[in-house]
Amino acid sequence: MVTAGLIHYVLNLLHITVHIRDVCVFLAPVFSGLTSISTFLLTRELWNQGAGLLAACFIAIVPGYISRSVAGSFDNEGIAIFALQFTYYLWVCLKPSSSHSASLSVRSAVSAWGGYVFIINLIPLHVFVLLLMQRFSRRVYIGVFVLLQVYAFLQYLKDRLTRQEFQTLFFLGVSLAAGVVFLSVIYLTYTAMLRSTFQSSLRYQSTSPPPGCPSSLIFTSSTSMMNVSLAGKVRKHVSEQEKAEEGLGPNIKSIVTMLMLMLLMMFAVHCTWVTSNAYSSPSVVLASYNHDGSRNILDDFREAYYWLRQNTDEHARVMSWWDYGYQIAGMANRTTLVDNNTWNNSHIALVGKAMSSNETAAYEIMRSLDVDYVLIIFGGVIGYSGDDINKFLWMVRIAEGEHPRDIRESDYFTPQGEFRVDKAGSPTLLNCLMYKMSYYRFGEMQLDFRTPPGFDRTRNAEIGNKDIKLKHLEEAFTSEHWLVRIYKVKKLENRDRVEHKLRSTDTNRQKYTSKKVPTSIPAHRCFGHFSQTYTQNHTFLLERVIFFCLQTRQTVDRREENESDTHSSTISSSKKKEEKKERKGEKNPPIEIE
Amino acid sequence: MTQTSPMFTAYLLLLAALGPQVSADGLVNEDVKRTVDLSTHLAKITAEIVLSNQGNSAVHSFILAVEEGLAPHLAYIGASVKGDEEEDGTLELQQTTIQGQSGEFYKVQLPSSLAAGAQLKTKVEMTFSHVLKPFPTHITQAERQLVIFQGDHYFYSPYPTRTQTTRVRLASKTAESYTKLGNPSKTDEIIEYGPFRDIAPFSKDTMKIHYENNTPFLTISSITRTIEVSHWGNIAVEETIDLRHTGAVLKGPFSRYDYQRQSDSGISSIKSFKTILPASAQDVYYRDEIGNISTSHLQVLDDSVEVEVRPRFPLFGGWKTHYIIGYNLPSYEYLYMLGDQYALKMRLVDHVYDDQVIDEMTVKIILPEGARNIHVDTPYKISRMPNQLHYTYLDTFGRPVLVATKNNLVEQHIQDFVVHYNFNKILMLQEPLLVVGAFYILFFTVIIYVRLDFAITKDPAAEVRMKVASITEQVLTLVNKRLGLYRHMDEVVNRYKQSRDTGALNSGRKTLEADHRTLTNEISSLQARLKAEGSDLADKVGEVQKLDGQVKELVCRSCQEAERLVAGKVKKEAYIESEKNLTSKRQELVGRIDSLLDAL
Repeated sequence: MVTAGLIHYVLNLLHITVHIRDVCVFLAPVFSGLTSISTFLLTRELWNQGAGLLAACFIAIVPGYISRSVAGSFDNEGIAIFALQFTYYLWVCLKPSSSHSASLSVRSAVSAWGGYVFIINLIPLHVFVLLLMQRFSRRVYIGVFVLLQVYAFLQYLKDRLTRQEFQTLFFLGVSLAAGVVFLSVIYLTYTAMLRSTFQSSLRYQSTSPPPGCPSSLIFTSSTSMMNVSLAGKVRKHVSEQEKAEEGLGPNIKSIVTMLMLMLLMMFAVHCTWVTSNAYSSPSVVLASYNHDGSRNILDDFREAYYWLRQNTDEHARVMSWWDYGYQIAGMANRTTLVDNNTWNNSHIALVGKAMSSNETAAYEIMRSLDVDYVLIIFGGVIGYSGDDINKFLWMVRIAEGEHPRDIRESDYFTPQGEFRVDKAGSPTLLNCLMYKMSYYRFGEMQLDFRTPPGFDRTRNAEIGNKDIKLKHLEEAFTSEHWLVRIYKVKKLENRDRVEHKLRSTDTNRQKYTSKKVPTSIPAHRCFGHFSQTYTQNHTFLLERVIFFCLQTRQTVDRREENESDTHSSTISSSKKKEEKKERKGEKNPPIEIE
Repeated sequence: MTQTSPMFTAYLLLLAALGPQVSADGLVNEDVKRTVDLSTHLAKITAEIVLSNQGNSAVHSFILAVEEGLAPHLAYIGASVKGDEEEDGTLELQQTTIQGQSGEFYKVQLPSSLAAGAQLKTKVEMTFSHVLKPFPTHITQAERQLVIFQGDHYFYSPYPTRTQTTRVRLASKTAESYTKLGNPSKTDEIIEYGPFRDIAPFSKDTMKIHYENNTPFLTISSITRTIEVSHWGNIAVEETIDLRHTGAVLKGPFSRYDYQRQSDSGISSIKSFKTILPASAQDVYYRDEIGNISTSHLQVLDDSVEVEVRPRFPLFGGWKTHYIIGYNLPSYEYLYMLGDQYALKMRLVDHVYDDQVIDEMTVKIILPEGARNIHVDTPYKISRMPNQLHYTYLDTFGRPVLVATKNNLVEQHIQDFVVHYNFNKILMLQEPLLVVGAFYILFFTVIIYVRLDFAITKDPAAEVRMKVASITEQVLTLVNKRLGLYRHMDEVVNRYKQSRDTGALNSGRKTLEADHRTLTNEISSLQARLKAEGSDLADKVGEVQKLDGQVKELVCRSCQEAERLVAGKVKKEAYIESEKNLTSKRQELVGRIDSLLDAL
């Protein structure tokens, strides 16, 4: 990240106005190219030019490294491996055993200056071994001395200064060094991060590359192309010598060269194809093809995410299954409860529980989590199989793992053990929140004439619960192909809607009773902290609270017990009490078909 | 306060005395035909006025008034004189005030003075934005949008009006209510008021119409238009637009099912609209923060490029969206040049959708780096911000950016501006030279790095090796040169055999001798140096020297043979035989020298 930031900063300083995103996208490929160059250099130092070339070719097509250096993969490893190779190269240059006239020039001085953190791990060990082998020389002394001096100096500073000051000083020093040699500094500033990734990098080095598709990114392969052109030069040199010995005809040589070039070019084409399909297929935009070959784009995800971004409150919290967390955060710019990197299982389980509970229970969870919107993916209209109903059993299982008393996986299966959304499906499933949100008003929809209304194309079944009414939720947005459905969680109502008929009273008497209103005030005054500016609804609620306190103390206590079990520990007890107070306002706890 | 109040009253009195004077310049609205067009989300009021001068002196200007309630929403006002055959010249307006009277007033300069007793037909156009207030302010998806317009029955004027009619055009046949002054007649979507007669100056009477209006209430809450001029032939235009549906706010749920199945569901919502771009627009893009918006269509027509802009989602009341649209234009259509003077003539604001309303507009014009003496002509008043600097690829001291803002714009504001500036054409070369310079420095650094030794320690062996390598290189060239001499000699001999010119042969032999000697000496000295460096290559060079002596001998012999042949001392067959012999010997020697050289 520092590297990308630095590159972006330097480029912009030079008025090369590249977006930081582009820097991040191309960072890994560029560094993988540099890796193959530094591998070449290292192996050349160790053996000879031909071996270096081969090593560069090999590193260019190692699948394990390729998958980490695809355009757009922004991670430490791409750079770490380059830094590793380059450090080794520099160190080998410095090594006295190397017959080559390695110079302790600017390069190594700079490497010692910034790379102290990393080299300190490995190189002193090597120096120690060298000493044991009695191969100490002045060059090693100079190289290590500078290194140790710098390190000791930094240690001294670290002791004397606060952490903040030290950091600023360190970055100041590094940026100073940046003025000297740009490329070295890329590698150097990275070394701080490198330390943490060092081990993982080693792991990649030591283990054999994972069996994957033998494909590479165009960048990597183009680097190898570059190496081959470089090799052309070398080979020319070599071939002159070998002319007398082997006597290969020039025709054969050119044919071999052409074949190699062809192979590499085809490889590049293949890599582009594989990359576009396997690595960067935009799964956010779905494309379907008509009979005449024209393309239909289903852009529902972005439609809904952009709606969230534009037309909801900036601080709105969105509940969705964790798979969409990053997408919501990135495209809709809204807070999510769980996302792709949530490690807290109880969090995910709570969301799963809300999705698999009935609406009332789910509403309580959502209220406790301050949820404003619920987002689900529904593929029933277009036959998209990766939707939430198909993932639903996982939600149930995860919820069951944390809340085995409330959620049982078996409840969502038919007695025969099938997971069905049609009439034969289990009633628990047919009344859970996920089912209701997915199929809300879908029962009225007839997709074509051969199928009945409410026919789910993904699961090829006519849905079992067509008459879905939502009480605490409200459809806020549904994308064009119903792929994304967003529901708004309603605020608690001041007074419950009464489902039965209103009690009729004599309107004439009502007039008189209105005069008596002042008499009811003293009753409220017992709660001194309530101001009288409360609306009538509030006083009404308050009356109910009192009523409930007196009348249903026992039931409340029982409920409290239940809740302390079911609620996650994340909710503070004071918050719970607040909610309970509000909930006491509910006159008729809604009865769900269980 | 108490001190100022007498002053104030005196001032008011003075004004009261002045007030009648305004109408006392004798102008009378003889006949006013007013049309109030409420069929869109704008209120467009046009009035055809027959002005007559009933005073004693000629009049040069008259005053237009806008009533108080509407004045803050006035987006555009324009006046023109209506000739008999054609609509000629728009008139110049200047805002003034009339003390003691509310509203806004504009002084209209007449092209020629209106003599006493004469009449003049003028046409006034006014456009008001955000005057149609939705009522109810919140509607559900199934409901239709009703709006209220509050205006004036009378034509608000500082002059007395003889006769006046008002025709109101609504967006639909359905009108909930309308004021009934003078018993207006309503046919379909038109309400006719009047004629009213002899109306006093500054008369007011509120006209209130509550009717159904489902036309798109689309408002551009802010637009930033960036025009980047390049002297390499391109003008890049980019518009960043914030859109909002300013009609009745959607209440309750948005049901996609209803929206898809019922044609009148969400009737006041906006699905898409058309943006008209210049005909030469290329590389059009339409996107937002999260990428390309795939729901748009582009149609290239003869005189324009039409983009069907479809936001990602339909816009209901209160919903908003944000997008960026951009395109390139060839600069020859908009950039004019004379010497080093340039003029850029473009639209200050362009078409976004029909009957557009822009609440806030910012225009940024990025001129090339080095533009000087910048001067802007705008078609209407626009507030300039301080100039900025913009840096992009290869810029060193920044491009000047002109920034201007204006609020409340409508379609009538689509007019051209002109920016004049000076630009030294030499500066065009700056950027290529910069690139050349950068590469020069890069290569130069590499040259320096490769040529010079930056090592801290010295490696004598390597140095010797390098020295030896350079000496052998020299030896190689010299030996090759020497072999070249022999080939040259062969040619001389051949020529001699044909021309039998002994002089040429002798001179050729002399030069060969001389050159050969110098080369051999040089090689010997190099050999000595090699020996001094302690290299075993010296022996090999010595061997080469020895072999070369033999070759030289052979060459001399072949030369002599040729002489004898020419002199007739040998027969041709014998000569050929010996020549063959010599050549093969020579070739063998040269081969040995070559192999030695290769080994060097």
